Amino acid sequence: MFEARGLMVFYENMLALNNVSLTCGKDRIIGVFGANSAGKSTLMYTLSGIMSDIRTKEEMAGGERITIRGQVIFEGQDISELKPSKRARAGIILCPERRRIFPESTVMENLMIGAYLANSRQTSETLDYVLRIFSPLVRISKRLGGFLSGGEQQMLAIGRALMAQPKLLLLDEPLLGLSPIIQYMLAKSIKEIRDERGTSIIVSEQYARPIMPIIDYGYILENGSAVVDGTNRELMDNPDVKSAYFGS
Amino acid sequence: MSEPAKDRRKERLDRGIKVRTDGIYAISHWTEIAYLLTPRLLFIVGLLLAPVILIPFPYWQRVLSIVCIFALLAISFDFLANYVGLVSLGGALYMGVGGYSAALLNSHFGLPPLVTVPVSTVLGGAICTVLLLPCLPLRGVYFAIVSLMFPLLAGRIIEALDVFGGTDGIMGVDGFSSGWVEQYVLICSVLAAVFILRRMVSEDVGLVFTGVKDNDQAVKASGINITTYKAFGVFISSMLGCLGGACLAHIYMWAGISQFALDFSIIPIAATVVGGGGTLIGSVIGCIILVPISEFLRDFGTLRIAVYAIILTAFIVFKSEGIMMYGTRKYEQFERWVRI
Repeated sequence: MFEARGLMVFYENMLALNNVSLTCGKDRIIGVFGANSAGKSTLMYTLSGIMSDIRTKEEMAGGERITIRGQVIFEGQDISELKPSKRARAGIILCPERRRIFPESTVMENLMIGAYLANSRQTSETLDYVLRIFSPLVRISKRLGGFLSGGEQQMLAIGRALMAQPKLLLLDEPLLGLSPIIQYMLAKSIKEIRDERGTSIIVSEQYARPIMPIIDYGYILENGSAVVDGTNRELMDNPDVKSAYFGS
Repeated sequence: MSEPAKDRRKERLDRGIKVRTDGIYAISHWTEIAYLLTPRLLFIVGLLLAPVILIPFPYWQRVLSIVCIFALLAISFDFLANYVGLVSLGGALYMGVGGYSAALLNSHFGLPPLVTVPVSTVLGGAICTVLLLPCLPLRGVYFAIVSLMFPLLAGRIIEALDVFGGTDGIMGVDGFSSGWVEQYVLICSVLAAVFILRRMVSEDVGLVFTGVKDNDQAVKASGINITTYKAFGVFISSMLGCLGGACLAHIYMWAGISQFALDFSIIPIAATVVGGGGTLIGSVIGCIILVPISEFLRDFGTLRIAVYAIILTAFIVFKSEGIMMYGTRKYEQFERWVRI
C-alpha cells in the first residue's frame, strides 16, 4: 500500500538519508528506530512531503541546499512530487515531532482544526472515538493547548491527526519526554487505533522498549541508513539491537 | 534552473583559497592576502573615491551624502535587529533627535559643525536611549510599534507646543565649510561604523548581544543583565542614527519636523533586506542601490513609489537572502555536479 524506494536526502553536502527503502502494508504498524541524528525525523518529513516545503524555504532564504531523491508510492501512485497538502488529502497524515499543538486554541478547537478534511459525519464519529480512547481529554476540552501537560499534548496531537481521517498515520517520536507509564499507555492506544480503525501506522522512536512489542515490522536507522530490518520478533532477537535498545 | 538529472546533484564546496585564508596562514602568500583584501579594499577605496569620480555631477555628489546618511541608519537597524534582536522602526526618531540637537547647538551656542556633529551624536544617542529605556523589556513587534510611535509623537509635540521653531523648524543652521568636508565626514563615518561594528560583534560583547537575540532567558540564567546590554545596543545604534541626523541638518542648513518623517525608518529596512540582513556591509550596499534608484525614479513622478515597491517586492520574492549573502557565497564557494 505504501512504499518508499531508495530515499536519499542531502542537507547541503551532508547525507541525512542514505538509500532508505521501506514498505508498509495495510493495517500494519511499522517502527523506525534510531538514535538522535539517525535520520528519523528527516525520513518522516520526506514521507509526509514537508521536506520539499523546507527545501523551498531554504532555497528562498539562500540557506542549505536540500536534495531529495527516491520514490514514494502510495496506493499504486507515485506521489514523490506531491505537495504536503495533497499528500494529506490522499490520506497521509503526519503527527509531528514535539507535538506542535496550537497553543492558543482549546483542546476542542485543536481537534476541530484537524478535522478540516473530514465531512461532518466523519467528524462527529471520529471525535467520539478520540475522546473515548484518550478519555483524559474530555475533562480538559475547554483548556488552551499551551497549558496541557506533555502527555495530554501528545494525546491531543494524535487525536488531531486522527481527525484528518488518515489512511496512513505517521507518528514522529510520540513518546518524546514522557514518563514510562504514559509511554506504555500511548503505545497501547497506538495499537488500538490500528486494530479498531484499520489505519496503517509508521512510528519513529528512540525508545524501542514500549513500541517494539506493538509493531509488525521494524527498521533500525543508523547515520541515515537502514542497517537492520525485520519483524518485531527478529529485531528483539537480534543481539546488536538487544544491546543497543534493550540494554541487555 | 534546468531540471537536474536523476542521479546527479549539485554540490557546494568551499574554495581552496577560502579554506587556506581562514587560518593564520593567510599571510603566507600574496594571492591569499589579495583574496582577503580585494573585496574590502574595493569597498573602502570605492567609497573614498566616489566624490572625486562624481566631480562632474554635483547633484549626484549630494545624492552620495544622502546615501551615506541612509547607510548609517541602515547599519544601525541591521545591528539592532540582527545582532541584538530588537526590531526598531525608530530611524526617524534618531534622525530627528540628532538633527534638532545639532541645529540647536549650532544656532544657540554658535558651535561649528565639526563640534556639533560629534556632540549631538553622543548626546542624541543618550537621549534616544533614555526615551527607549522603558520599552526595552518588549520584544519583536511590540518594540517595533513603540519605536515607531516616538518619531510621530515627537513631531506632533513640536508642532503643538511650538517649541524649537514649531512647524518652521530651526533655520539658519551653518552648513559644512565645503562639499568635500560634508562628503568625507559622512563616508568616513560609514566606513568606521561598518568596520568597528563588524569587529565588535565578533568580540565577547557581540557574543552576548547574539545570545540576547537568540534566547534571552538563557542569557539571564548566565547572570547577565540583559537590559544593560539591550540599552547599550540601542545606544550604539541610536548614535549612528543621530550622527546621520546631525549631518543632514547641516547639509540642509535647517532642522524641522520632516526629519521625523517615516522615510527614515522604512528605507533603511528596505536597504537591509535588499543588501542582506546580518552582514552590516550588506545594508550599506542596499542603500547604495536603493537611494540612487529612488532618485532616478523621480522621472516617473507619482508612479515613483509604485515602481519602487515593485523593485522591492521582486527582490524579496526572488533573492530574499540579499545581495551580500549571495555575493559572499559565490566568492567563497564553488559548485559542481556529482553523481549520487
